[in-house]
Amino acid sequence: MSHLLDVKGLSIRFGGVQAVNKVDFHADPGEIVGVIGPNGAGKTTLFNIITGFYSPDEGTMIFDGHNISGLKPNALTRLGMARTFQSVRLFNAMTVLENAMVGQHTRTKAGVWGALTRSSKTKSEEDRIRERAREVLAFFGDRLSGREDALASDLAYADRRRLEIARAMATDAKLLLLDEPAAGMNPAEKDGLISQIGRLRSELGYSIILIEHDMPVIKSVSDRVVALDHGEKITEGTYDEVSTNKQVIEAYLGKAAEESHL
Amino acid sequence: MTPELRRSVRQGLIGGAVVLYLASVGMLVAFDARAIITNVVNFATVLIVITFAAFGYLAGRPGKGGEPAQPFLLAGAVTGAVAGATVGVVAVLVDFLITGLEWDVRSMWTSVSPTLMELLSFGQSPIVGALLMTLLGFTAGLAAGSLHLATTITRKVILLGLMAFVFGALGAPLFKVMLDGMHIPNRWLFDRDGLTITGAIVLFAAFGLARLGSFRVGGPRQALLKVPGTSEKNLRWVISVLALLGIAVLPWIVNDFVSDVLGFVGLYILLGLGLNIVVGFAGLLDLGYVAFYAVGAYSVAILTARSSYLVGGSVTAPAVAGYTNFWVAVPITILIAVVIGVAIGAPVLRLRGDYLAIVTLGFGEIIRTLVLSDWLKAKFGGPQGLTEVAAVPFFGLNTRDPQILYYLIYAFAGLALFISYRLKTSRVGRAWAAMREDEDIAEGMGVSVIKYKLLAFATGAAVGSLGGAFFAAKLSVANPGSFTLLVSINVLAVVVLGGIGSIPGVVVGSLVLVGLPELLREFGEFRLHIYGAILIAIMILKPEGLIPDKRRALELHQPDHQPEKSVLSAEATEGIQ
Repeated sequence: MSHLLDVKGLSIRFGGVQAVNKVDFHADPGEIVGVIGPNGAGKTTLFNIITGFYSPDEGTMIFDGHNISGLKPNALTRLGMARTFQSVRLFNAMTVLENAMVGQHTRTKAGVWGALTRSSKTKSEEDRIRERAREVLAFFGDRLSGREDALASDLAYADRRRLEIARAMATDAKLLLLDEPAAGMNPAEKDGLISQIGRLRSELGYSIILIEHDMPVIKSVSDRVVALDHGEKITEGTYDEVSTNKQVIEAYLGKAAEESHL
Repeated sequence: MTPELRRSVRQGLIGGAVVLYLASVGMLVAFDARAIITNVVNFATVLIVITFAAFGYLAGRPGKGGEPAQPFLLAGAVTGAVAGATVGVVAVLVDFLITGLEWDVRSMWTSVSPTLMELLSFGQSPIVGALLMTLLGFTAGLAAGSLHLATTITRKVILLGLMAFVFGALGAPLFKVMLDGMHIPNRWLFDRDGLTITGAIVLFAAFGLARLGSFRVGGPRQALLKVPGTSEKNLRWVISVLALLGIAVLPWIVNDFVSDVLGFVGLYILLGLGLNIVVGFAGLLDLGYVAFYAVGAYSVAILTARSSYLVGGSVTAPAVAGYTNFWVAVPITILIAVVIGVAIGAPVLRLRGDYLAIVTLGFGEIIRTLVLSDWLKAKFGGPQGLTEVAAVPFFGLNTRDPQILYYLIYAFAGLALFISYRLKTSRVGRAWAAMREDEDIAEGMGVSVIKYKLLAFATGAAVGSLGGAFFAAKLSVANPGSFTLLVSINVLAVVVLGGIGSIPGVVVGSLVLVGLPELLREFGEFRLHIYGAILIAIMILKPEGLIPDKRRALELHQPDHQPEKSVLSAEATEGIQ
């Protein structure tokens, strides 16, 4: 089976810092891959490269049979990749529904002419966009569906994270990249998230890569875990394998030990 | 001294200083001649009273935690009295310098004329005048401060009544012309350039009662819906039809001058709507928007002017006949503007915010200096530009007549309104909004930022060039002097004042910023002074604009979700004081 995403020898440097160093990485269709590592390990940078926000100094990236090196984020969205952000970044002055509707952008095509004439084709496309947006909002129950017309900035923190996932879902992506989806959530919300991530795959067929600091979340959802430190991949495998890996423990404990001295 | 008292005194001193400033720049003397109620009160006195009252009102504003009512009343009165006393004392001192020490105060302080001294002392001796001024301040401050004791409804009713009275009086010459035009007897309402006493009472009562009535049933909209047989839908129809009718008959009930002004307002609506697409919808700050206005005007001029090299062969030897029809020239003009819009947009695609603003500013100036240059003089006519631009042919009507051209301009403004609405509520509008909110994320969600930026520039350019086309046809010239940076700034001010991204805001912004200053012409040099003051006041009091875009308004008022008692404004007041 060919990989959905196959990354080889990915490297990027910022000035004197080697943020990502020769990382090989893949995700298969229907797989949930967890990416872990201490702060500054290069996890988000890796996401930024894969999703086209940064262009790598070296390395090849194949997504769904396409060479995606050098493609812009919008082109990647069209190919079926969508992400969320560590610091939630919604379109704050737009409503919840509109945020999700923007997600459908690459799947629709009405332009200025369609907007001006508002032809039956444009109208039915708008209906379809709205319908699809409502569908993804409904995935999170009435937390989002009930607040369609609220401004995104008015939502509670956890709902803002949910809306970000909904917006990514609305792009009709094959692969979702979630950057710390559980950050700032309380235990009950985390439980909800764990089951939602599971359902994203089992019911809706998304493949998922997630960065997460919360080990219970990683443990519950990941088929495979990749551990990064100092921009390098130190190991990968099942959660049990990775969590008992000596280098991983050092990476985390080393840091914990340093912190305890402060 | 209690903090409340200290605050009141401070406000009073500021209020006094404001009145002294108005006196120093010569505004009070200039406005002394302008009646509000003929033979009873003039604009100068009203301006003084309004200043005292405004500061009294501010001082009396309830602080945080809702303190008892008593201090507020007193705060207003103290503030007013302090303000009045400040003015009075300064007047007495100046009088002493002039009459007692025989100083030549006017050589330094040119506006201290006998008229001013008489005005400030109410024609009495300086001491009595000062006392009267203090009393006036006390009364105005007390009245304004006590407004805080009244219910919100009473307060709003009184304020609206007062505003109707002041604006009615200021607009008296205009309204009188309009009423005369409709052959409606108005001697009971207006007397020369002011109101009659009856008129003042009627205006105050009519607007106050109308407001009160509408409050009773929950707002004007609800009031209309109470009428049997109305529904949301047909109400909207009725309002639209009435608005259209109003626009249609307007040029016939005002004089030519006002029609002309309204024509300019229409041009600014066109320009404002165009810029609103760029700045409001797509969030690209463009300070060189005048470029497209110029492109529109010059394109039409080159295609249709008798002095154009295309038409007549050379600027100096105008041809007699054979120009392009305006209606043929317009689509060509739009096409040219779109091309130039994209050409200007392309190099600045990577720039954001402030950088973009500066670069567009540069482009605006480049276009202006190009048409001004000797190099292109043969084509653009240099400093004097292209003259004898053809009038708009329209079923043989004389479209140089402002009353006729008015309809054409507003028809196109209407078209631009329609285009704006349609775009805003479409997939394109959503992509723009997403880009405005967060360019990176919009790109991450699949919006091609390059495409949508260029689209915004092109659409904005097309609408702006229409404005330019009518401008050239209206004035029959296109010259570089009409396309200065000030035009870009004015159009941006229209958009911001109306409410960034708000379509009706552009209309209201144009009326206020373009229409009002024209109608204030009788105030001469103080016109721009007042214009600036209005701009500052609106931006402080309503930063989201006069008719805010719903989204933006909500955004600006985020911190306070509780209705009434806005935390935001309480903090803002603290900050100002």
